[in-house]
Amino acid sequence: MELYTSVVYPAVLAVCALLVAVGVVTLIWVRAHRVLKWVVGATYVAVLAQAGFVLLGLFTVDGISIPTTLGYFLATVALLPLLGIGRLGTPDAAAIDPDPNRPVLAPDQVARVDAGAAIIVAIALAVASWRITIILGGGS
Amino acid sequence: MNPIARLILIVLYSILGLAAAGRSTVQILERFNEAPVPYTLSAISACLYVLIAVALWRGWHTVALVGTIVELVGVITVGTLGYVESSWWPDETVWTGYGSAYGWVPVLLPIVALWFLVRARRAALVAAPHPATADPA
Repeated sequence: MELYTSVVYPAVLAVCALLVAVGVVTLIWVRAHRVLKWVVGATYVAVLAQAGFVLLGLFTVDGISIPTTLGYFLATVALLPLLGIGRLGTPDAAAIDPDPNRPVLAPDQVARVDAGAAIIVAIALAVASWRITIILGGGS
Repeated sequence: MNPIARLILIVLYSILGLAAAGRSTVQILERFNEAPVPYTLSAISACLYVLIAVALWRGWHTVALVGTIVELVGVITVGTLGYVESSWWPDETVWTGYGSAYGWVPVLLPIVALWFLVRARRAALVAAPHPATADPA
C-alpha cells in the first residue's frame, strides 16, 4: 500500500486540483475546454488506478470494512461519468432522443456545464479519496 | 429553466444521492438496530435526491419542485430537532446539523434549486397564453 500512499493518492489529489483550476478557467474562458478534456482523461487514469488499489486492499488489508470500502470504490467510479456531462446536451445527442424536455446546449454552454461539473466532481472525488486512504491505513 | 443550472443541479443531486445512498446502505447493513430512525431517514433522503435528479433530467418540474420543498422541510426539521431533542438521534443522518457533514450543501442546495424552479415556473406562466385572451381558433 506504500505505492498507493506515495504515488496514486497524491496523483488523484493533483488531478482533482487541476480539475478545479482548469474548471474555473473554463468558466471564464471557454476555449480552455480542450485542456479540461485532457485533465478529465488524466482523472480517469488516476481514479481507475486508485480503484485497482482499493480492490487489492479488500484482499490484503486486515480488518477492512467490506461494505464501506466497496461503497467508496463504487462512488469514485460512479463519479467519473459526471465529468463531461455537457455532452448530453449537445444537439447531436438531443437529436437521437425523442424526449422534448431534453436540454439542448450551445457549444459555450457545454463548456460551462463541463467546467461546473468538473469543479463539483473534483471536490467529491478528493473527499472520497481521502476516506479511501484512511480505510487503507495510509492517513488519519 | 436555464440549461446550465439544470445540468449542474443534476450533477449536485446525483453526487448527494450517491453519498447518501452509500452512507445509508453501510449504516443499514452494519448497524441498523443501533439507530433505525436516523438510518431510515438517510435512506429516504438518498431516494429523494435521486428522484429530484431524475425529475430535473426528465423535465418533471412539479415533481422536482415538490421534491425540493420536501427536502428543505426535512433538512430544517431534522437539523432543528437534532439540537432541540438530541436524545431522539442516537446517530447522525445526512440532514443532521443542517447537513454540516456535507458542507451544508443539503440545506443550501434546495434553496438554490427552488429559486431556479420557481423562476422557471413563473417564466412558463408568463409565456403561456392567457385563457381569456387566447385565440379560440
